[in-house]
Amino acid sequence: MTLAVLDSGTYYHHETIRGARYRDRFDKVIYAPTLAESDLDGVDALIVPDRTHPRVLRAKRPLLLGHLARGNTLIVLAETASHEWLPNVSWTFRPTNFWWWLERGADPGLRVAAPGHPLFGHLRGEDAVWHYHGVLHPPAGAEPLIVVEAPDGGGDHAGCLLYEDRASAPGRLIVSTLDPFYHHGSHFMPATTRFLDGFLAWTDATFRRRG
Amino acid sequence: MIETLLLDCEQTEGGQAILLRRPDLGARVDAVAMEDLPRVDLARYRGLLIGLHADQILLQAQRPQLERFLAGGGTIVFCGHVAHPFLEELRPFEPMRGYRLDDLRVKFERPHPIWAGVDAEHLTFRRGVAGFYGRGHNPPPAGAEIINTLGPQRRAVDFVCRPSAGGRLLVHAGADLWGYLEADSSASRMGPQLLDWIAAGAAA
Repeated sequence: MTLAVLDSGTYYHHETIRGARYRDRFDKVIYAPTLAESDLDGVDALIVPDRTHPRVLRAKRPLLLGHLARGNTLIVLAETASHEWLPNVSWTFRPTNFWWWLERGADPGLRVAAPGHPLFGHLRGEDAVWHYHGVLHPPAGAEPLIVVEAPDGGGDHAGCLLYEDRASAPGRLIVSTLDPFYHHGSHFMPATTRFLDGFLAWTDATFRRRG
Repeated sequence: MIETLLLDCEQTEGGQAILLRRPDLGARVDAVAMEDLPRVDLARYRGLLIGLHADQILLQAQRPQLERFLAGGGTIVFCGHVAHPFLEELRPFEPMRGYRLDDLRVKFERPHPIWAGVDAEHLTFRRGVAGFYGRGHNPPPAGAEIINTLGPQRRAVDFVCRPSAGGRLLVHAGADLWGYLEADSSASRMGPQLLDWIAAGAAA
């Protein structure tokens, strides 16, 4: 079992992927602009980190969809314009509230929607709380994992921040509007480091050969 | 004249989206997709804005193109952490470890037109929170002019130098300086003053 990750050449991908904390968490690092079909041979799961340049991903769409079509896993994080190149991804822009936590007792409304999912054996819901870049509307058959509730309980601002879709392709598609690679790799926002600790423990357990 | 080119990485929020859409500033700046850099004639511009989302592996591959631009008298402004040094004058970013509030305080070491009228406190704090401006430094080359520093260690968060290739290089070890345009403080002066500094050329 092999887990690969794309690197778009940004400083924060370099720090998160090659830095001491997580460098052993990826079996293979692929420079996104030169991604070739042969790079994905034997790769079971591929992480497309947040902020991988959308222009590059649109150009690599056939390779990425082929990976899914062969029954493999694709994990796609925020600010990658995934709604432009992935199946059944519906995304709504929301102005990012970077400052919600300055208000005493503020609750940004994040909820774990599927506590039984194996991801939450490694990740605590509160470790997904920093901010998010728009919301997703999971298609029929997909499983919402982290959702955001509107402050007034109404549905207008509600949406999904992380879901798993096994219905749209033979493989597993995990989509999120969270951007942990950027913030951890920028030495800012400790919650993003806690998120990656849990998330990459789950990818270790699920997609990598151990021993 | 359009003086400045920005390398666009298609992020939905942040400095470049604001800069490019503001009529007074956007009219002065061209944007091209980061990946198209190798096909751009940089000789048409005086300044090149390279932001925090840039592909530094591509920049490294395009070093001869960047050096030709500098040799022609161009100004390169880089904001972010150096991971893949793409000019002789750049060294990998050194983060501060276990920083305290005092380590994050911005100090103006010498006047510079980009920071004219800016209050250092407005860079140290945004809504009372410190750390946005910088959390480490890109080590400057010998002979660089250190403009602004962080904390008692006086780490060079902003410097300008005359690269061996020619032209001017300004390096900020943080988020894009044109990302403060909507700040409700004196920090919003940096973006327009940055474009003016580029337009003034090497005499400034």
